[in-house]
Amino acid sequence: MAINLTSKKILIAEAHANLRETIKHIFGSLGARFIVEAESGVDAIAAMKKDKFDIVLCDYDLLGKKTGQQVLDEAKHLKLLPVNAIFMIATDEHRLGLAPNAVDNKPDDYLIKPFSLKQVSSLLEKCDTRKRFLAGIENEIDSGNLFQAIRNCEKMLELDNKSMHLQLLKMQAELSIKVGDFKTAEKVYQDILDKRELPWARLGMGVVAYCLADYDNAVNTFQGLIKQYPAMLEAYDWQVKAYEAMGNDQLALSSISAAVTLAPQSILRQKKLAVLADKTDNIDLAQKAYTAIIELGKNSIHRSFSDYSGLANTYLKTNAADKALEIVVKMAQQFKAEPEAKLRAALLEIEIYREKGNERLVERAYNKICELNGQLNKQIPRELRLNMAKIFCLNDNREACDEILNDLVKTYVDDKLFMKEIVALCNELIGENYVETLVESLTKELVDFNKEAAKLFKKGDIRGARGVFEQIAAKRPHNPKVILNLIKIILHDIKTSGASPEKIISTQSYINTAIQLGIAHDQISVLQTALDTFKNEIEQ
Amino acid sequence: MSNTSMLSINFPSLLTSSVHDIKNSLRVLRTLHAQLESIYQDKKHIEFKQLEFEANRMNNSLMQLLTLYKIDFAQYSLTIDEHSASELLEDIVNQHSTLLSLGDIQLIMECDSDLLCYCDSTLISNALCTLVNNAQRYCLSKVLLSATQEDDYVVFCIEDDSSGYPENLLTSDCKKLPELDMTTGNTGLGLFFAETVAQLHVQADKQGFIMTDNNSRFGGSRFKLYLP
Repeated sequence: MAINLTSKKILIAEAHANLRETIKHIFGSLGARFIVEAESGVDAIAAMKKDKFDIVLCDYDLLGKKTGQQVLDEAKHLKLLPVNAIFMIATDEHRLGLAPNAVDNKPDDYLIKPFSLKQVSSLLEKCDTRKRFLAGIENEIDSGNLFQAIRNCEKMLELDNKSMHLQLLKMQAELSIKVGDFKTAEKVYQDILDKRELPWARLGMGVVAYCLADYDNAVNTFQGLIKQYPAMLEAYDWQVKAYEAMGNDQLALSSISAAVTLAPQSILRQKKLAVLADKTDNIDLAQKAYTAIIELGKNSIHRSFSDYSGLANTYLKTNAADKALEIVVKMAQQFKAEPEAKLRAALLEIEIYREKGNERLVERAYNKICELNGQLNKQIPRELRLNMAKIFCLNDNREACDEILNDLVKTYVDDKLFMKEIVALCNELIGENYVETLVESLTKELVDFNKEAAKLFKKGDIRGARGVFEQIAAKRPHNPKVILNLIKIILHDIKTSGASPEKIISTQSYINTAIQLGIAHDQISVLQTALDTFKNEIEQ
Repeated sequence: MSNTSMLSINFPSLLTSSVHDIKNSLRVLRTLHAQLESIYQDKKHIEFKQLEFEANRMNNSLMQLLTLYKIDFAQYSLTIDEHSASELLEDIVNQHSTLLSLGDIQLIMECDSDLLCYCDSTLISNALCTLVNNAQRYCLSKVLLSATQEDDYVVFCIEDDSSGYPENLLTSDCKKLPELDMTTGNTGLGLFFAETVAQLHVQADKQGFIMTDNNSRFGGSRFKLYLP
């Protein structure tokens, strides 16, 4: 039975007017009434910002140099596509050279050009059937309830739909990894592999090993896959992560270099290469990668001023101050409206003019930083703020330096990796006990807050206790205990004074934070089940 | 020493660049063809369909060359997954049905809707498309496309009512590209591609392979692709 498109909103992005007309005719024969046309990627994005489309058919080669893949990336990044929308890329390449990988978004399917009415109809039907079958899972993922998505997956597996069975198992395993239930994921993958060697299931085993910090095993798995499937980009991407986690940046660099050689058009992978090359002092390679990123970024949502500052930094490392200045000027021109770009430019200018021996311009750049610091305050990435603290300290502006460091320590005291960076900087510039003293006072503050909350809880003032925990969570957003206690207190509040949509949404949001913080799966699972029970009660 | 022996020509790279160039030109040509067809859509000009058929053949051959190059240089990303054999065949039928009907050629499909296979569907579809194209070229009126389970293999089969494969394609080792038959212009690239692609599919101790014979149930040629 042919799919009926009468009620569907459709976007056709195709560079050639006659071909658009032909495609429109094809969709029209399938009943489509609401069809919007776009000839370039920019037009396609503008149309998606205006309307929510059910189906997008986007040519790979569009006008204005933005590819169909870049349109998809941007649409996903800006959340322009409804969860059940179908996005198809029309190409005469048929995925050749568009190898699947871990960093790019995947369309629902590819349509090989030229295509007939039958091909469009059959592919749409296939995508629609799959989307409708998986809607119960996708909707839960979209609303952030991963545990419910897993339960729906399990229920649908019981239906024993042969053609969707493996797809469901794949989703179940991937979702299990997301919620930290690595044992289930491992079992699902192993059961599949016991029956048949499938590359994605083997990759899944490597990912599980990585998540369990069994990096040797993970690297071996990814290596085995690369040996068997030398162009499997996902295996390279995960291998890079594993090497980084092992602290072996050289091997991570070598893996990412191999992946970039296979797929040089991927801007995100080029970014990884640039950062790793820079970190390992492979300056030539870093410069090459940053230059490629700037070129690729012209039509990409991932275009960023940090790539320009990264490139300028590499020139500074090789004492090419003039070249660095040239890049900084370009960055300022390209990102005029971005205050953060101005700040990055000023930070670089200090080093550039110092290198050139022009103290007057060094001072001018420093004054610009002070001014921007006042304007932007906390709206700057943490690494950049740390860099600013260093600049202030080196310029004897301890007040501004302390203000930033105090705030960073307070916010990230529970983020072990970033705290390492703060401690290293403070030890180098200020003194060994600086961070320790700050951390001690924060620990005391946390204990005091907990006591106050416990007192209110004992008195039966659940809302008061919740308020205190919310204050703590705002101050310590990365503290697992704080987040868990807050979830528990809201659940208790629901139990004693009833559920409300606000409480349900708020609890789900904190549960998702707990998942992101890597809190053990069994601890979160119990809380999610309790929340779902309350949720069902108010829905009935 | 001649001048030519001193030149270092990296022929595979040169060939790949040329193939890319030809493919780009072919893309423009196919776009123009589609535009012309949309202008003259009321009149079913058989020449348009012949043009489309030949353009598709050229595109398939170029795709195969590029894919073989990538496989040879370990740059092809083999994506093995579970697929419905009938959906795979339906896609091929959908791609060819209009063309075949214009030439009064019947394309029949036989496949259990529950049959699943494990393969890189892009590669397998490309290989089968080319061989259906060939069958269409040489058959009288019928092409049968089927898929069945035979022991540990899923077997895709293309049968027609042509006069059968020539001797050199029945006896040749498809693992090697056969000599070009100058009288027929037959390159054997399609079979070589199918064999290469089949061999990439491995499960435990089983490997994919192809077979050609003239035992079609219509009396013509029969091609079989075995996937473990």
